[in-house]
Parts: sequence; structure tokens; C-alpha cells
Amino acid sequence: MNDFGNIDDAVLAALGDIVGDRVSTGKSVRDLHGRDLSFHHDTAPDAVVFPETTDEVAAIVKVCAAHRVPVIPFGAGSSLEGQLMAVHGGLSLDLSGMNKIGELNEGDMDVTVEAGVTRLQLNHHLHNTGLFFPVDPGADASLGGMAATRASGTNAVRYGTMRDNVLNLTAVLADGSIVKTGGRARKSSTGYDLTRLLIGSEGTLGVICELTLKLHALPETTSAAVVSFPELEGAVKAVMTTIQSAIPISRIELLDEVQVGAVNSYSGLDYSEQPTLFLEFQGSESAVAEQVKIVGEICSDNGGGDFRWASKQEDRNALWKARHDVAYANMAMRPGAKPWFTDVCVPISRLAENILEARKDIDASGLTAPIVGHVGDGNFHTTILIDEDNTGEMDRAREFNDRMVKRAIASGGTCSGEHGVGIGKKEFMELEYGTGVAVMKTIKRALDPDNILNPGKIVDT
Amino acid sequence: MAETLRPETPDQVLDAVNWAADHGRSFDVTGLASKHPLGRPMQATDKLDLSAINGVGLYEPSELVMTAAAATPLDDINAVLAENRQRLAFEPPNLSALLGTGGSGTIGGVFACNLSGPRRVLSGAARDHILGFHGVSGRGEHIKSGGRVVKNVTGFDLSKLMAGSFGTLALMTDISFKVLPVSEKSRTVLVIGVDATDAPVAMGTALKSPYEVSAAAHLPTDIAATSGVSYVASAGASVTAIRVEGPGPSVEFRCNALREMLAEFGDTEELHSSNTDTLWREIRDVSCFAGNDKQVWRLSVPPMDGTDVVARITDKIDSRALFDWGGGRIWLALDGGGDAAHETVREAFRDCGGHATLVRASDEVRAQLPVFQPQSAALTGLAARIKDGFDPHSVLNPGRM
Repeated sequence: MNDFGNIDDAVLAALGDIVGDRVSTGKSVRDLHGRDLSFHHDTAPDAVVFPETTDEVAAIVKVCAAHRVPVIPFGAGSSLEGQLMAVHGGLSLDLSGMNKIGELNEGDMDVTVEAGVTRLQLNHHLHNTGLFFPVDPGADASLGGMAATRASGTNAVRYGTMRDNVLNLTAVLADGSIVKTGGRARKSSTGYDLTRLLIGSEGTLGVICELTLKLHALPETTSAAVVSFPELEGAVKAVMTTIQSAIPISRIELLDEVQVGAVNSYSGLDYSEQPTLFLEFQGSESAVAEQVKIVGEICSDNGGGDFRWASKQEDRNALWKARHDVAYANMAMRPGAKPWFTDVCVPISRLAENILEARKDIDASGLTAPIVGHVGDGNFHTTILIDEDNTGEMDRAREFNDRMVKRAIASGGTCSGEHGVGIGKKEFMELEYGTGVAVMKTIKRALDPDNILNPGKIVDT
Repeated sequence: MAETLRPETPDQVLDAVNWAADHGRSFDVTGLASKHPLGRPMQATDKLDLSAINGVGLYEPSELVMTAAAATPLDDINAVLAENRQRLAFEPPNLSALLGTGGSGTIGGVFACNLSGPRRVLSGAARDHILGFHGVSGRGEHIKSGGRVVKNVTGFDLSKLMAGSFGTLALMTDISFKVLPVSEKSRTVLVIGVDATDAPVAMGTALKSPYEVSAAAHLPTDIAATSGVSYVASAGASVTAIRVEGPGPSVEFRCNALREMLAEFGDTEELHSSNTDTLWREIRDVSCFAGNDKQVWRLSVPPMDGTDVVARITDKIDSRALFDWGGGRIWLALDGGGDAAHETVREAFRDCGGHATLVRASDEVRAQLPVFQPQSAALTGLAARIKDGFDPHSVLNPGRM
């Protein structure tokens, strides 16, 4: 059922009544809201509205419900699977103006924020409190968007993902009603866990407007290291042993030899062009010293050499800056090409074989694609550098991604570890879940019978 | 006449649900019935006994993941994990002594009721550890969600929706969940005689410290006196307990640092591994309220408000309280008569937010009261639509939530 309504003068007038001049149909504004960081084709909405309160969002959604106009929530535009593309037209709901940080409870270690607050803005606000918000997907994403896509990042191995760090939400549902899913109490055992149903629903079940987040104590000490391995298996084995030993390591990132080469030339470094682990340790001074010692031994037992420590802040910054600049380093490998960030997650015992097979496929296909992984979680990405106008190359990229995803699912893994489904992974949902997809459709229909909330994403109803 | 069905395979579970839907019947669903008195008394026509859906499936210790049939006894799972020096990090409680039932219950029951113990402050709740499941919805269809990997962002997180749904949406037949290594050493720092006002501050100080505290509880004097750990029972004062786990030297260092940090709140003591295990098992299982007929409430409130909430209740009705999770989880025993003092209890946290669940009371009392915290009309409507989506014929545990 795709007979959506248009944004006509009546709809624009109704929106104007709610937000005044904070609504736009200008081409440049629409274009900006129809693109993200993915390789998917830009698809602009018909109009963009800039609400500043939850009540305004509710009123806007009511107008859209009455006219059956699609509503596409927009945070910072950093999604990676086309989550904000207006594939059925409609209204982009830009929440960046909802950027107020509300009540901070240092004692209870929680804070309430509006959806448009970005993670860097929040951590800046927390400066001097001894607390921080750990989920770090790389981009300075909005916290509402991070909840909507269940974002994670390099330190999920220690602090979890968005689903572990949101205490409750205020969301606007498809009929324009406002729900708050819980209080500040830690445990929500009253009724179904709607907080976690909305987290990761990519704007298809409700528009997340406010969130209460769990904060963490800043570690007393942080230390980092880089270690390279002659073989990928050794690196993965070292990671498995570390995780099994219950060492609370905060980040373990794997860069394959191609990726290390890219980082070296972009950041002017001289790491061995071998499979390499970037490690970070946090805790009290003695705990960190102990972790460093144990992990050092584990790495060396698995063939790791060339162990470099960075306990000084500036050395650590240089190291992690190099890791965070991976996307730029990759783009510099082939100027003018567009990056396609792939994303699969597999059981960690199958990680080495999945990465090695991916590398073999890349080399056979003639594509340029370094590999980087959050290996503590079994999650890895390739960055395929593609020339969008070259159809042969696009086909090869698609074929490679298909093979990698199917291999991941066959290994007991998933087609998406952290980027979400959006429009990019929809085709793999049946393969991964079979009849489970029907249940998701049932939920979508129960909560959004007219299919106005971000239609065309995750599942078609 | 009421029937009891005992399916032995997921397909037979599907057949049973379809039979019920076709004949206008409904099920009171049990595994080992250890948590049967949780929630409201059910109004089902028949019983569905899932105890044959049993057995540890795929378990690879190196993956830190286990898959088990839903009615596998928790004791069996703990035994298999212990052989590999692993455990369920969320420390699921065994409430059968508290509830007057028996046995350890099943892993499916733990997740369906989302039961987590003291380590929740560090490791998260039961629902944070469930990775995926297979099951049968009330619509009579096989469903699958999640998988065996830690990160998965493919669509709606149905596994989390199962946690805390008390078997009212779907029947899980197997569950994949995270397991973690057992810590090499555990110790507990005791702070003696901290008064009720300072207790949440002391616990908050420990939890916010960089010393990775894995549990923080406060036992008022009368509760401490019931402990099987002599240091605690003979304190003659309240006891605030802070647990630290990890490799030996690190635990020792952190305990010393915490003792120094908490000295301003009272004299400190330290429990070694075996006493630590005993004390936290008592707190986990709420042993202090087992074996009597008081009504028991479980409250969740912002930790810093816990003391005031309890004071407001005890002003009106005689009650005893155990504080866990840094003060955010309160177990409260009282004799509230026919209405279990539910208005007094819920009024006490109206301003700070929170919720209360009546965990133990007679069937008659639980049938008359909102056992779970009443929700806003919007949330109730949303929950009803979800229930209708999963179980339109009300086949599963009708009336329980």
C-alpha cells in the first residue's frame, strides 16, 4: 500500500501553523536532507521541517497522519544504510534544533537530552563531572539518531551499545501521541520493554524526541598499544584469548595489511604492513598495568611482535587519531571514489576465516577495499572505494558484498552488526530471519497501520 | 475440562498453540513453575507444560555464548558453565524460597521474567544478555530473532521484547545468551553503621569510582542480623556492602582504595571469597524475607531517592527494606492486608519516579491489585497493540500482566 499523500498547500499551511517559518521546500535544503554517509543514491524529501519541541513533533506527525504523508526523522545525517532517504517522498523531520541537555543527575549517573544533541556536545557538557557517555560510532552523530539505529562503535566491547545505555525514551507515535517509556529508575519491569523496541527501529515505529542516558565514570588511567602479527589468525586468536580471560579491555581494533598501508601513508606513520591490533586499556592505574602485562603476553604467545605502548596522552591521541582517520585514509587511496562501508558480524571463532575469505574475494575482484574490524565483537567492515559511474565496478562491489553477507549469515552471524538495515540490507532480512520477518511486519502494522513512519525501511508492509 | 499439554518439540508447541487458537482455549504456561506466583493469577482454560523442551544445545566456551532449550533448569546451565569456569554475568536470582515454590526454575523463566541479581550494576540486566531466540508466537507461527553474535542491528529487537513479557507474547523454545568467565577472585568491602541517609551516597561514591564495583547493597541493622555471614550478622549495626571482582592483585588494590575512600562513612571490614559468595547469594535471592508470610514488594527508584521513598512508607506502615543496586532496587516486606498497601507504596515515589511490583502476596490479593506499576494510557494502548500483534486470541498466559 503505497498511495501516500503529497505535501500540498494545505499540508504546508498546517505545518506553518505549528512551526511558523521553520519549514522549507527549497531545493538545497531538501537535497541536504536526502543524503547520508552511504553509497545509496541521494533521495530528497518534498519538504523539511525543523521542530524545537516534542509537542511540535507530535503536532507535525498528526498533520502527516491526517494526510498520509511519510515522516522521515533526521538527526545529523550520518547514517550508513540510507535510513533517511525519502524513498516514498514525504517530510524530513530535522531534529537538530532539539538540542537541549536537560537534567543531569550526577549521583544517579544519568542525563536527559533532546534527540538532536550530539555525542560530542554531551561529552563536552559533562566535562568536569568525572562522567562521560561512552558510545562512539566515530561520526558526531545525534543521540536520537544513535538510539534509532542502535549505534555502537569502537568501545562497545566494554561499554555496550546504545541498547545498553538508554534508560528510557520519549517518542511520538504514528498517530501523534506522545509516550514516555519509563522513569529514571534503572529497571523497567512494568510491561513490555518498549524502550528497546524503539531502539534500532530506525524511525519506523516512532520518532525518538528525548532520551535518558546512562553515564559512566571516567577511567582513572588509559593506556594504548599497537601490535602487529605475521598472520591474521594469530591476531584473532589473541583477541579471543583476551576476551575469554575476562580482561575488561576498552577497545580492540583489527586493521588488515591493506588498511595499515593506507593509515601509514595518510597519517605519516610507519607501522609494519601486517595484520595489526590497536588496543586500549582503561581503569585504575594498577588494573591497567596488569591488563597491559597479561595482554602483552597473550599477543606474544600468538606471534605478535613489534609491540608499541602509548601511555602518554599525546602518543595515544596520535594512535587513535590514526584509527579514527581510517575513513579519510581510505578515501585518499583513491581520490574521487565514493566509499561503500560494508558491515557484517560473525561468531568470533569464525572471524578469521570470514576476513580471509573477504580479502580473497576482494583481491580476485580487483576492487580496492581495506578491512577494519571491532574484533572483540566479531564485527568487521570493508571500505570498498568505488567509481559510481562504472557499472561493471558497481556490479563487482555488489557481488562481493552479497558473498560476504551470505557467508556471515551461514556462519551464524548477521548482515549488520552496527549500521542497521535501512534500505541497504532489507534484501537480506528473509535470509537471516525467515518467518521472523513476518513478526516484524505485524509489529510495524500494529504500531503504524498507515505506514507513514519512515516507510520503505527495515521491512515492507 | 482443563487439559495439560506437554509438547516435546518446537513443532508440537506450535501445534498446541494452534489447537488453542482454533478452539477458543488459552494456556497457563509453565516450565518448572518456580516463578508461577509472579504476576497476576492467570485465567487460562488449560495448562501448557514446557518442561520437556529441555537441554543445553550449542555451547562453545571460547565464543562466550550458549544456546539452550527454554525449559533447561538453571541449575543444569550453571553446572555446565561452572565446568568451564564461566557463568551468567547478570547473576540471576533463585526466588523459589522467597516465593515458596521449589527448584531453580528454567533459563526461559529467567529471561521471560527478566530477573537480574546484584551484578546488574556492572554487567546489565538479563535482557542485556539475551542474544536471540527461536519460539512460537500466539498467532501460531515460528519466530526467530537475533542470533549468536553480540552485535546485531537487523530490525526490531524482539529478543528484548521477550525479556519481561512473562510469556504473554510468544513462547521461547530456545535461547542464545552471553556467558562470561568467572572472576579469579571476589571480595567485599563492608562499611559498618552507615545511616540510611548516607547509605546511597556511600554506595554512589563506590559505584562512581574507577574501581569497578560489581555490586553495592545496604542492609539495615535488622536485615544484617539475619545473614549467615557472621561478620555481617554480628555487626550490631547496618552494613553497606561493596563487591569487587577480578584478578587477585587488582582486587586487593581496589579493595584497599575503596576502604580508604569509604572510611569517612564508617569503619570498614573485608570479606574474602567464600563469605562474599554467601552474602551476595543471600542478597540475590532475598533470603531475608523467605519463609514468612509478609507481602513483598520490589521497587525501582532513582538510587539517591531510595532512602526517602522507604522512609515515606515506613512512616505509614511497619516495613523492612533491603537496598540493592546502589539503592535503586528495594525489596520491601510489609503486612498491608487486602490491598498490600499499594497506594502508600506507590505514592512514596510519585515525585521522583519509579515503579513497584508486588512480588509476593496471596492469589486473592494479586487478583485484585495492579501487581505491575500502572502505566499511562498511551503506553497501555501501545502495549495492547503489541500484545494483539503477537497473540490476538489471548492464548498465552491471559491476565498475567
